[in-house]
This record gives sequence, structure tokens and C-alpha cells, in this order.
Amino acid sequence: MDVLSGWWDDYFWGAVVVGQVFICSLGLMIIFGLFGAMAKLSNNRVAQKIAGAYTVIFRGTPEILVILLLYFGSAITLTAIAQIFSPEIKFVDVPPFWAGTIAISIIVGSYATETFRGAFLGVNPGSIEAARALGMSDLQTFIYVRIPEMWRLALPPFGNHMLSLIKDTALISIIGLNETMFVAKQAITVTGKPFTMYIVVGAIYLGFSTIITLAVMGIEKFGERTTVGAK
Amino acid sequence: MSTSDAQPLIQMQGVNKFFGSFQALKNINLEVRKGERIVVCGPSGSGKSTMIRCINRLEDHNDGHIIIDGKELTDQVKDINAVRREVGMVFQSFNLFPHMTIVKNLMLAQQLVRKIPKAEARETAMHYLKRVKIPEQAEKYPIALSGGQQQRVAIARALCMKPEIMLFDEPTSALDPEMINEVLEVMVDLAKEGMTMICVTHEMGFARSVADRIIFMDEGEIVEEAAPAQFFDNPKSERTKKFLSQILSH
Ligand SMILES: Nc1ncnc2c1ncn2[C@@H]1O[C@H](COP(=O)(O)OP(=O)(O)OP(=O)(O)O)[C@@H](O)[C@H]1O
Ligand SMILES: [Mg+2]
Repeated sequence: MDVLSGWWDDYFWGAVVVGQVFICSLGLMIIFGLFGAMAKLSNNRVAQKIAGAYTVIFRGTPEILVILLLYFGSAITLTAIAQIFSPEIKFVDVPPFWAGTIAISIIVGSYATETFRGAFLGVNPGSIEAARALGMSDLQTFIYVRIPEMWRLALPPFGNHMLSLIKDTALISIIGLNETMFVAKQAITVTGKPFTMYIVVGAIYLGFSTIITLAVMGIEKFGERTTVGAK
Repeated sequence: MSTSDAQPLIQMQGVNKFFGSFQALKNINLEVRKGERIVVCGPSGSGKSTMIRCINRLEDHNDGHIIIDGKELTDQVKDINAVRREVGMVFQSFNLFPHMTIVKNLMLAQQLVRKIPKAEARETAMHYLKRVKIPEQAEKYPIALSGGQQQRVAIARALCMKPEIMLFDEPTSALDPEMINEVLEVMVDLAKEGMTMICVTHEMGFARSVADRIIFMDEGEIVEEAAPAQFFDNPKSERTKKFLSQILSH
């Protein structure tokens, strides 16, 4: 344990970064998933095609590749744009935090698209008709009827998507984000103790995934109030 | 109400409805005045549901005119929620919102559509739950209620919108026999209070005692339209006679 002394606070801040990436990418992933699902379920051919391409591409390519391409791709694009305005700029740095967060949200969002699509299809059409017959607008029906019924159906697979997200945060070290994997690599070059350093990372991730699993169980319980009999 | 009693609340004129190439409604003409109670019957697939679903535009019609309380139903979506607010609908399968308590089921559209404040919406909800005789179920979720209770909640939910017209699409046909009467009683009460009603039902006892007119549909057409006494005792059409002999022998 002595080898770890001096590294604890690096790991702590690394874990904080993991948490931040997770929270931000969770929100983005839900947005990508909802838009993807709505596009797939819409009557608009173009939207369907785009959403179809989205899920095929991002479920079918290695995650680490997506992170790298998005990071370097956005850096190249932004540099090109910046040079239009001031040609002396050599290179625009994209923050790895946001490049990585967006990349993993897009990836896991492509899985969430399928989950949400299935869950929307599982919503009782009778509920939607009842809402329409009561004079509720499409938007009101969406917010107050379809979403609340949908998320209960989506929750079990959605819990898995959250676990994917938290694990994918470890990949972002490759573009230089100082999360726990990044800390471990630095610690290894100094101490020469890879097993110990990676075990700490493992423990941190297990901690995160345990919290997520417990949270999903709690939310499932909350959702089940409506399917379990009278109090 | 904007219309005088002389003008029908519901007018359907030459309404045709197609699903693809299949014609589900053929030249439907129907007028319903305020306070009238109409029972619609006919074999499965004859277009009963389609007809009443056109009245609140859950289905749109292809030809003809449908005029509700002076407002014609057209593609102008702007008016449709205003029309739907005046037309309550009760479905065969209750269609309560499963994720909300009973009282919330009754409050939701009041708050969203009629913009009623929460406390008042709750009061109205409880008022109608008392009228359908299940105020004690207010805080439960739909799954915890029997079918008959759920259907009474569904009726109360529609009534909370203070509709001018109530449409019922086979409200008792998904119920166990012992629950049918509790729902019919609520409907009879509504009729007594002068609610304008169109009920698709094969409860012929209800039809005989409550209906002002009975409409018999077959293959998308209105085949016969008559007062109950005439309809049951002296039907004109052979198709009506055949249908009646089938359902009354059950
Ligand atoms: N959405 C739809 N798409 C295609 N065909 C439909 C649709 N809805 C109804 N139909 C057809 O239209 C016809 C009339 O249906 P409708 O539901 O109005 O009959 P119904 O008289 O209410 O019958 P039931 O007593 O079985 O409820 C049926 O042949 C049905 O198959
Ligand atoms: Mg029907």
C-alpha cells in the first residue's frame, strides 16, 4: 500500500472526472436516444434513414475508434474554421473532456435509440387514444403519457446502457483526459507497479457501477408502484 | 351552448371512410340533438367504432361533413382539441393511464386542457368519483381496481371535462357479467340527467329502456334507425331481424 501514497488524491480527482463525464454523457445519451427513437418511429423517411445509419454506424464500430475520430476530426474541423478568420492559428485544441463525453454519449445513445424505440412501441395505444380523446395535444400526450409509460419499459436495458457509459469513460484517457485510467498510467511510469495501480482503478469503477445498479433498482421499485396491487 | 336546441349537436352528412381500399363507412347520415340518447348496434366489423371515432376525429373521414356543435371537423388541427374537449369518450378497454393514481387520471386533462388549477381539478375529480360511487379508490393505481371500477373511473374521467356529448364504445363488453350492471347504472344515471349520448352496445335491455333511437349498422351502412319499440318489435329490414334473432337468442 505504500506505493499508493502520494497517488490517492490523483485517483480521487480522477474519479471526480469520471463522475462528471458520466453525468454529462448520461444527459446527452438520453437526448440522442430519444431523438433517435422518435426519428425511427416518425413517418419521415429522411429522419428514419438518418437514425438507421446512426445506429448501424455507432453500434458497428469500435468505441475507441469513435473517440479518436471525433477528437481529431473536430480538432481538424475547428482548426480549418478558425483559420478562415485568423490564418496565423496553427491548431485548435479540443477539450478532451467534451470530445470524449460527446463521443461516448453518441455511442451509447445508439444503443439507447433501440431501447427507447422498443419501449415506445410497448406503450399501450389505448392510453394515447384516451389522451387524444380528452383533448390533450400531441406534445402533452408525449410528455405526460408516452414518456412516463415508456421509461418503465425501458429501464432494465437502460440500466445496462448506464453501465456501458461508466465503463466507456475509461477509454477517454486515450485522448488525454485525466481520469482514473490516466492517473494509473502516470503512476505506473513512476512506480513500476501496474497491477496495483490498475486494481485501484478497478475498485473505483466497481464502486461506480454498484451505485448505478442500486439506483436502477430503486427507480424500478418506484416505477413498480403502478404494477403491484393495492396498498 | 352556442347552438339553439333546434340545431343538432352532431351532424354527419354523407360520410365515407376508407382504410386503404376498404370502405368502412358508406354514406353515413346521422343527426343527434341535444339530450338525445342513441344506441348503435350491429355485427362485428360493421363500422360502429369507426363511426363514433370519426365524431371526435380519432379517425378522419374521407368524404362528407361532420359538424359538432356547429363546428365542422376538417384538417384544421387548431380546433380539434376544442371539439374533443366537448366530446367525452369511453372505450371498451378502459384505457386509464396506468402510471397515475385514479384521482390523477381524472385531474390530468382538466389541468392541461381546461387549464383548471390543481385544487379545483382535484375537487371536480372527487365529485365525479363520488358520482360513480368509488371515491375511496382515489389514491390507488388503476391495476388495483376491478374492470367495472376501472370503467366507472374512465366515465368519471371523461365527465370531468364537462363534455356536451358522451360516446361509449362497447363499455361493458370487456367486463365480467357481474360487473356489467354497475357500469350500466352509471350510464342510466347520465341519461336521466339529460346527457347527449351515443352508445355502441349490445346490452339490449339498456337500449330498450334508455335509447331514444337505435341505429343498426351492417357493412359500413346505417341499415335501420328507429325508436326502441319499433326496432325490437317491428324491424323493417331483414338484416336487422336476422341480427336481433342472433343476439336475443343468447
Ligand atoms: N385502423 C384500421 N385499419 C384498417 N382497417 C380497419 C381499421 N379500423 C377498422 N378497420 C376495419 O373497418 C371495419 C369496421 O371496423 P370497426 O372497428 O368500426 O367495426 P365495429 O363495428 O366496431 O366492430 P366490433 O363490433 O368488432 O368492434 C372492419 O372491417 C375493420 O377491420
Ligand atoms: Mg368496435
